[in-house]
Amino acid sequence: MPKKTIKEMSELERRRHSLEAKTFHAVLMGSLILGVMSLILGLGLYVYSLGNQYINEAFELTKNAEGVIENVGDVRDICNETLDIYHSLSDEERAVQDDEYFARFDTVTKSEVYPRVIDFLLEYYASSDVNDIFIAMYDEETQALVYVADPDDKRPLRTGAWEAETAKEISQFLNSDGSTEIYNISYTDKYGWLCTTGVPIMNDDGSIASFILADVSLEELLHGMQSFTILYTIATVLTVLLLGFLLSRHIRKNMVEPINMIAEAAEAYVKDKKDGGTLSENHFKGLGIDTGDEIENLYFTLSDMEKDLNAYEEDLTKAIQEQQRIGTELDLAKRIQEDMLPTIFPPFPERKDFDVYASMIPAKEVGGDFYDYFLIDDDHLCIIMADVSGKGIPAALFMMASKILLKTTAMAIPEPGKILARVNNQICNNNSLEMFVTAWLGILELSTGKLTAANAGHEYPIIRQHGGRYELYRDRHGFVMGGMEGMEYKEYEVLLKPGSEVFLYTDGVTEAANEKNEQFGTKRLLESLNSGLAPELKGVLERVNDAVDVFVGDAPQFDDITMLCLYYAGADATDSSEEQREGRYMKEMTLEATVGNIPIVTDFINTELEALECPMKAQMQIDIAVDELFGNIAQYAYDPLTGPATVRVEVDDDPMAVIITFIDHGKPYDPLAGKEPDITLNAEDREVGGLGVFLVKKTMDEITYEYKNGQNILKIRKNMQEG
Amino acid sequence: MTVTKTLEEKVLNVKVEGRLDTATAPALEEELAEVMDEAEELVFDLEGLEYMSSAGLRILLATQKKMAQKGGMKVVNVNDVIKEIFDITGFSDILTIE
Repeated sequence: MPKKTIKEMSELERRRHSLEAKTFHAVLMGSLILGVMSLILGLGLYVYSLGNQYINEAFELTKNAEGVIENVGDVRDICNETLDIYHSLSDEERAVQDDEYFARFDTVTKSEVYPRVIDFLLEYYASSDVNDIFIAMYDEETQALVYVADPDDKRPLRTGAWEAETAKEISQFLNSDGSTEIYNISYTDKYGWLCTTGVPIMNDDGSIASFILADVSLEELLHGMQSFTILYTIATVLTVLLLGFLLSRHIRKNMVEPINMIAEAAEAYVKDKKDGGTLSENHFKGLGIDTGDEIENLYFTLSDMEKDLNAYEEDLTKAIQEQQRIGTELDLAKRIQEDMLPTIFPPFPERKDFDVYASMIPAKEVGGDFYDYFLIDDDHLCIIMADVSGKGIPAALFMMASKILLKTTAMAIPEPGKILARVNNQICNNNSLEMFVTAWLGILELSTGKLTAANAGHEYPIIRQHGGRYELYRDRHGFVMGGMEGMEYKEYEVLLKPGSEVFLYTDGVTEAANEKNEQFGTKRLLESLNSGLAPELKGVLERVNDAVDVFVGDAPQFDDITMLCLYYAGADATDSSEEQREGRYMKEMTLEATVGNIPIVTDFINTELEALECPMKAQMQIDIAVDELFGNIAQYAYDPLTGPATVRVEVDDDPMAVIITFIDHGKPYDPLAGKEPDITLNAEDREVGGLGVFLVKKTMDEITYEYKNGQNILKIRKNMQEG
Repeated sequence: MTVTKTLEEKVLNVKVEGRLDTATAPALEEELAEVMDEAEELVFDLEGLEYMSSAGLRILLATQKKMAQKGGMKVVNVNDVIKEIFDITGFSDILTIE
C-alpha cells in the first residue's frame, strides 16, 4: 500500500502521526530501554552489596562460633571420633541410616562434650539469623558429608548422618585455612536459595578435624529483589508516563499547535485567494506565535511573505486590469477603423455607369491600409487607395486623420494633385512622430471616362482598358505624404473606354510573402488578374485573393491585404453592365474587322476558353464559328471598305457556357434570315454560300441576332458540358 | 496551314495540314489553280487537318465540280472532327470519301 500523505489522512490518523504522538512514543521507548538497563544495573548492585553483606555476616558468625566453641570443650575429639566410627563401618552398615546405624555413634553422643556442643549450637542458632548451624566433615573416601552435630530444630540430623557430596563442591572448603570467606550458594527444595559458609576446625597437626558450617537463607534477599524490581518498575513507568505526557504537552504547545496554526492559516490564505478574498486580510500576522525558535522565525517569514504577496498581487491585478482595458480599447479601435471603410456593395446600386468593389483582409494587428470612394458630384467619382506607415494604434489614428483630410479636401477642391499637396502640408504640420502615408487618388469624370489621378508614393495602378488586358500603369510617383512640406503632385489623365477597369491595391498584396520569403510581386498579380474571366467584379478581387492564398501557403499574414476595383461601364451604359451586375462578367476586344485579324480574335477567344478548361471539341467548334462569323463581318459588313468589330466573351455558369457576341455597325444583315442550304442536293446543284452560318447553327447551342442602335449584334452560346 | 502537292501520272495528291479557314482558304485555292489543269484525278489527303470552316468546304465543292468533268476526286484520311463537319453539311453524300 502506498504511503499516505498527511493530506489524505483522517483526523485520527493525523493525531496518531502527529509530532506530539511521535514525541510520546520516543520518550516511551527511550525510557523503557533506560529503565530496563538501570533496573538490571540496580538489581546487580543490590544483589552484589546485599549478598556480600549476608555472606560476610554468616561467615563472621561461623568464624565467631568456631572461636567460641573452643571454650565449650574439645570439639575435635568428637569430630575425630565420629569420623573414626564412620570409617570403621562397612558400606553396607552405612547404607541405611537407621537407629541401629546411629546407635554405633553412641560413644560420641554420650560423651561429656557432646551435649555442651549441642547446647552451644542451639544457643547460637537461637541468637543469630542463621538457618542452620552444624558441625560436619567431608569424607573424601566415600565422598560424603558426615554430620557430627546438627541440632537445629528445623532439620536436626543425628551424629553420623551423611549426605553424598561431590568433591568439587566441597573442595574449596577443604583447601581453606579459615582466614578467607568461603561460601557456596545452592538451591534446596526445602529452603530455597541457601548460602553455606564454613570455617574449619583444625587438629593440632594442622589437618582439618571438621567444619563448623552455617546456612544463611537468601530468600529474604530474593524477596527484597522482587519488591525492589516491582517498586522500581512502578516508579519508572510512572516517571516515563509523566515525562512523556509533559514532553508531548510541551511539544504540542510549542511545536504542533503553532505549526498547525500556520498550516491552517496557509490553507485559509490559499482558499481566500481562490475565492478572490480581500487583499487586506492578514492570515499569518494575527497568529501571534512567540515560541522564540525556528517556528517563530517561520511565522515571521510567512507574515512578511503574505504582506509582500498581497502587495505584489495588488500591483499585478492593477496591471492586468490595465492590460485588459488596453486590449478592449485596441479591439474597439480596430472595429472603428474597419468601420471607416465602406463595405456595402454595390455602393451605388442606382448607378448603371460604374461599379466599385473593394476588400480589406486585416492582419492580426491594427494596420493603416484604407480605401475610399465617394461621389463629389453626380459626374465625378473620387477613388482613394492609401497605406499608412507602421502598425497599431498610431497607424490607425494616422489613417483616420488622413482619410478624413483626403475626403474633405477632395470635396472642396476636386483636383487630385492639389488634394494630395494640401493634405500633405496639413499632415506635415502636425507630425511629430514623422509618420507618412502613401496614397493614390483619382477622380473619374463619369460622363466622359476621363480619369484624373495623382500618386503620392503609392503602388502603380492597374488598368484594363475595354477589350484589353490588365496592365500596370506606370504613373509618375510623387513623394509620400507627411514626408516633406510643400511637395507638389503631378496630375495625369487616362481616358477610360466604356467597359474598362481600374484595379488598386496596397503593398500587402504585392509583398505578401510565402514560407521561402518570396514576395507575391506585381508579375503574379497581373497574371492572376489576366488568368481568366471572373463572373463579376467581386470575382476579380477573389481571383487575386485566391492566388495570394495559394502563393503564401501557411506563412502568416503580416500586412493588411487591401484591393479595390472600379468598373466603368460608360456614360450611356447598356444592358451589358446590368448583366454584369446580375452575375456575368465579360471580356471583349474591338479591332478592325479583316480576314487577317481572324487569328487575333481566335487567340483571344482561345485564351479565355483554355482558362475555362473548355473541352477540345467544343473549342474547335467555337473556333470554326468565330472564323465563320468574324469572317463574314470582315468580308461583307463594311464592303467594300472595312470597319471595327467587337468580340465579347461572357461566361454563364448555369449551365456552364460561353457566350460570344459579335458586334459591328456595318450594313444591317441578319445571317439567320437567309435560306438554309439544301444539303440533300448533289454536288452539281449545291450552292457555295450559306454553309458557314449553317455549320455554326448546327454546332452551337444557341444563336441569336438583333440589330440595335445601328449595330449588328450576333450572339452564340456554347455549353461546356457535352450533350 | 501547309499544302503539299504531288503529281503522278496525272493524279494530283494534295495534302492539307493545319487549319483550313477563311484566312487560309485563298492560299489553298491558289495552290490548286496552279496545277488543276494538268491533273486528271485529284486526291485530298486530310490526315493532318485540324479543322475546316465553310471556306474550305467551298473549295472542296468547287474542286469537286471541276474534277467531275475529268477523272474525279476523292478525299482520304478524314478524321472525326472533319467527318462531323462533312456529315452536318451533307458533304459526306457529295464527296467520295475513303
